[in-house]
Amino acid sequence: MNKLAIGALLVLCPSLASAQAISTEVDVSAGYSTENVSAGSTQIRALGEGPGAVRFFVEAAWGARYFPDSRPKSPTDVFGAAYPYENRAQVVEAYGERMFRPGGALVGVRAGRFRTPFGISTRSDHAYGGFMRAPMIRYDDYFALSNNFLEHGADVIVGAPQAYFEASVGRPSDVGTVQRRPGFDTVLRGQAYYRSAIVGVSHYRAMPYQPEYFAKGRAVFTGVDVRWMYNGIQLRGEFLSGRPFDDTTTTGGYIDLLVHRVWMGPVTAVARLERLDYDTIPEFVLFARRAMAGARIRIPGGLTAQIAAGHQWRQQIQRDRTAFDFAVSYSLRRDIDAHRQ
Amino acid sequence: MRVSLLVIGLLVLRASAAGTPAADLRGTARAGDRPQANAVVWLDAPNSPSSLEAKRPVLDQRNLSFSPHVLAVRVGAAVDFPNNDRVFHNVFSFRDGKKFDLGLYPVGVQKPVVFDKPGLSRIFCNIHPNMAAYVLAVDSPYFGVTDDRGAFAIPLVPAGRFTYHAWRPGGPDLTGTLTADGSPLDIRWP
Repeated sequence: MNKLAIGALLVLCPSLASAQAISTEVDVSAGYSTENVSAGSTQIRALGEGPGAVRFFVEAAWGARYFPDSRPKSPTDVFGAAYPYENRAQVVEAYGERMFRPGGALVGVRAGRFRTPFGISTRSDHAYGGFMRAPMIRYDDYFALSNNFLEHGADVIVGAPQAYFEASVGRPSDVGTVQRRPGFDTVLRGQAYYRSAIVGVSHYRAMPYQPEYFAKGRAVFTGVDVRWMYNGIQLRGEFLSGRPFDDTTTTGGYIDLLVHRVWMGPVTAVARLERLDYDTIPEFVLFARRAMAGARIRIPGGLTAQIAAGHQWRQQIQRDRTAFDFAVSYSLRRDIDAHRQ
Repeated sequence: MRVSLLVIGLLVLRASAAGTPAADLRGTARAGDRPQANAVVWLDAPNSPSSLEAKRPVLDQRNLSFSPHVLAVRVGAAVDFPNNDRVFHNVFSFRDGKKFDLGLYPVGVQKPVVFDKPGLSRIFCNIHPNMAAYVLAVDSPYFGVTDDRGAFAIPLVPAGRFTYHAWRPGGPDLTGTLTADGSPLDIRWP
């Protein structure tokens, strides 16, 4: 599947070797949680613009979590924000895209392998932004959508910067601990922007990731996402409802507050409230609530420290009701070639 | 073509009006022995007529980076900040110079900021912490930014004696005097 992703990228981007601008980024992270889990990860990205104004983005990641023998491996979702932790290097995203601006309109075409464009889905929204856990509705195994879901296909954006429509078709190409069954995925999304607020509505249809003998039908979700940011204060949230497979429903969402005012210097404060309701036969229902608060601290030399505390009530997903997570990341960016006009 | 000819004509007229021949001031900037890219060199000329820039300065957001990394503008210039990435950006400057926050905006949207006072503004994106750039507003029409080889060119400097300034990211400002007579200006940070 990785070869297919790279192949699609090369079709769109026929001469990466002669690209006009290539940037590379490396992030190396290490973390520890009081749930007695430690983690390490590395992401390498190459992005830029090639001939014909075709943009490309390739990302590979390695991540691993370490559980001491004294405690079983699950459950916990710590360090599962946006990358798989399966102790092997994998290509995550690999795509090429081209944007057009005919008469002020916005048309974009993207092909390759990319994160499922449902709601708030980009890496920069969820990876090492102050939280070390994905929202529950976006974690691998919580009966909703995962940040590690990837589409291998194409998507198209049509509209204007103020409001556009996006349609994605592809096959699942997931990299997390759960893999959707083969099938034909579709995501439809509308997004509108006014001043500093962005509102999106997404609809998703795909095969479930659970085995066929257990999960019949298709996974279908509809969600609303909202983002607002001004003067160093960001509010964002996502709310979805649907079914992971027949005769089940998942409803949930989260709201994040991120504050970075000038007097805070290198510190960004973060907080999250979230809920997840998975409704099925009584023995398998899941109703979880969680609150998190933390900080992201920029340290000179490309280092970033993150600390967060989370408390969960009702049914338990993370190992301990209250947990403290810590991580340090080192980030490096290099512009290899920059014949920009 | 007509616009270009008009700009050239106006530049010639302006140089003639000053009564002194104008020539490009070229030079290099080094930090120690190494060429210094992204350094800004400008000449004191606070009462010079308005500059005749044909294009509005742009600080692009593309490929999760600001381009250029260092932008020099004359005080009063409006700088456009277009988002040319698929993801959202939130450009802000809180620390020095011009303070502003453009809020969150998506691909295809462009927002302007007028740099109405001289000084250095550090530009960041609130979503992508690796994105950073500088805008240096100078009260002079005579300025240039060095390229990767440390070379710069300041166009149409009238002959005469000037005080020059040089700035580079993370380094001290340098000041000196020069006589603009076609000779190159070499700037060196210790």
